[in-house]
Amino acid sequence: MLPTGFLSPMPKLVRVIFWIAVSLLGAFALATIALHRGEQINALWLVVAAVSTYAVGYRFYSSFISAKVLALDPLRATPAERLENGRDFVPTNKWVVFGHHFAAIAGPGPLVGPVLAAQFGYLPGTLWIIAGAVLGGCVQDFVILLFSVRRDGKSLTAMAKSEIGRVGGFVAYVAVLSIIVILLAVTALIVVNALKASPWGAFTIAMTMPIAVLMGLYLRRIRPGKVLETSLLGFVLVVAAIFGGQWVSQTPSWAAIFTLTAPTLAVLIILYGFAASALPVWLLLTPRDYLSTFVKLGTISLLAVGIVALRPSLNMPPLTRFADGNGPVFAGKIFPFAFITIACGAISGFHSLISSGTTPKLIRRETETRFVGYGGMMAESMVAIMAMIAACVLQPGVYFSVNSPAGIVGQAPEAAAATISSWGFPVTAAQMATLAHAVGEQTLFNRTGGAPAFAVGMAQIFSNTLGGQAVMALWYHFAIMFEALFILTIIDAGTRVGRFMLQDALGHIWKPLGRTSWYPSIFFTSALIVAAWGNFLWQGIKDPLGGINSLWPLFGICNQLLATVALCVATTIIVKMGRARYAWVTLGTLCWLVAVTFTASWHKILDPNPRIGFLAHARQLTAAGANPRLIFNDRLDAAVTAVLVVMVATILIESGLECARVISGSKSAATKESPFVLTKLAEEQA
Amino acid sequence: MSSVSCSADTPVREKPQPGMAKATPNRIFAAIIRSSAVLVAVLQEIFDESAYQRFLERSRVQSSAKAYAMFQQETEHAKSRRPRCC
Repeated sequence: MLPTGFLSPMPKLVRVIFWIAVSLLGAFALATIALHRGEQINALWLVVAAVSTYAVGYRFYSSFISAKVLALDPLRATPAERLENGRDFVPTNKWVVFGHHFAAIAGPGPLVGPVLAAQFGYLPGTLWIIAGAVLGGCVQDFVILLFSVRRDGKSLTAMAKSEIGRVGGFVAYVAVLSIIVILLAVTALIVVNALKASPWGAFTIAMTMPIAVLMGLYLRRIRPGKVLETSLLGFVLVVAAIFGGQWVSQTPSWAAIFTLTAPTLAVLIILYGFAASALPVWLLLTPRDYLSTFVKLGTISLLAVGIVALRPSLNMPPLTRFADGNGPVFAGKIFPFAFITIACGAISGFHSLISSGTTPKLIRRETETRFVGYGGMMAESMVAIMAMIAACVLQPGVYFSVNSPAGIVGQAPEAAAATISSWGFPVTAAQMATLAHAVGEQTLFNRTGGAPAFAVGMAQIFSNTLGGQAVMALWYHFAIMFEALFILTIIDAGTRVGRFMLQDALGHIWKPLGRTSWYPSIFFTSALIVAAWGNFLWQGIKDPLGGINSLWPLFGICNQLLATVALCVATTIIVKMGRARYAWVTLGTLCWLVAVTFTASWHKILDPNPRIGFLAHARQLTAAGANPRLIFNDRLDAAVTAVLVVMVATILIESGLECARVISGSKSAATKESPFVLTKLAEEQA
Repeated sequence: MSSVSCSADTPVREKPQPGMAKATPNRIFAAIIRSSAVLVAVLQEIFDESAYQRFLERSRVQSSAKAYAMFQQETEHAKSRRPRCC
């Protein structure tokens, strides 16, 4: 990561030569990964291509946006300075804000999306991650952060309402609520698929509950406020639980207790979500949150070190035959499906909620939004590149065995291996049995969702770096624990956020429902939110195609539609700032996302292929006399997609009309920025 | 505010000094100390230790189980509404 001013002491000639060298290195690395055919390439080419492109993007593109488009003003006091209260608004060192922001935006998305998109080969996903981040995701996070800073830390929905209109605010609200519901369902499904029939994994995750309660009590009663110390203690206990899980899996009586089916796991997670939403947070949720952040940051750093130390070769080809749209992991062609499958690593609408949430209230100087917003997304994108590497170091036959649902490749290991081998990716049932044994599982077939494939890849990288094959099972379950732990944290936090959003809205209809401490309202709204995502989760586990085939694209569409809303807000504000000639900075990405999300939505609703189109699948099920519930689920998915597209189209039209009014002069170009106040930091510096 | 919390005092060099400084052992050691201080400050902010210190200073109370319970009560509302990204 390059801080502002990096290299400025160098003489100009040296700087020019340096940046030419970085650009050439990036171009050479990109050409290598794009043009190399027939032989394996080293994973470091992906790292070099990404890092060089990020460096050039940060140095030149973000600098251009800072100076020409946003006109960052180092003399303007930020809300953290003007409204400082030591609680929400706190002027904070930029490195600290960067760490805080990165910890908030990094979730399972950049890990799972690239693993799923690896079915096309490593090339499409890698190029999208790099280009999408530098030209789209980083820009979105940066501009939304700056615009929120200039509006006293206002949220995206509040900015949409004030800059575009009431419809904009309403659409943003519905989009946020929808994405939360779909996100919770799909992440819960990933956990179910990772833990089903896995006594080791189920035991380890179950143990995180009492560990979190212990941490909560320790933090509250014994060492108040010593969170880092408590998290370290919790981490040691979780590692002990991983070893305990091994013992459980090898002890038949205990293994039987923790060998859970997908429906059982789904019910347990739904109950957990409800309890977590309705109960006080300090005992279970807050310590779990700390523990999950601790493990997340540590594991991501460890993975980066592992990749650089091992320098693995990629076994996946650059492009697979599934570019034609018949992939077993999810159906659909590279355009548009690769671009909605990988969201968080390239551009994610959800980030705009973080950029207009806590982060703007911590920014000390306006100029630091570039480092935090643009730079934070670059770091997130790098995580996605690492996930792509973890998936692509696997033999393709192994990758497809793990990620293909039984409905496509067959239930029996021999049948699945034969189907996958017939695609040109040789694998045998015996090879998969050996691998499953090495990672301490009964089987690795049909473990859809991306998390198990990522865990196998990560275990390979870790065990080859440290400990050898003997500890591969421990590394695999460490990776599963890491993913499940922070996915469950997202489920409990997301359910609470959704509950609050519902209470805010329902409070307008009947005031008591808006009271966040009134238990009937808490139970009612928690039940509504849990029922909403629980329904999609149940649909996912009953889906013969594995659930991910339907739910992940739906989640990707929701996420990218939210990014569309964020970019609409950003473009409108840029136009209102009197800088319409630079609106292409966000408008270009906006047009691309509209093309991607609207095309994907059209395919998901109306495509005649039953593996792609919800309605075609519903017709197929009707003809086969299937369970009416399955048919209803397909129609519900189609309806949700259609409603979201119509709403986002409405905000696009409203935003376009607002921009047209400003450009034509029929409306004054006035933004709703907070008044300029001279920063005291400038005086202090002088 | 604590000396390594998320304040403007955290010793991070905002702008490089003019001219290319020689990497003497002292300078390297100082850079390591500075980096460590920033890392600790980042972790303290992420894990709310700095927020707790600010709460103690603002409320003028000593750290105790009761003070920490009050802090958690105060921050619960904000934390509960903070979304976790995908």
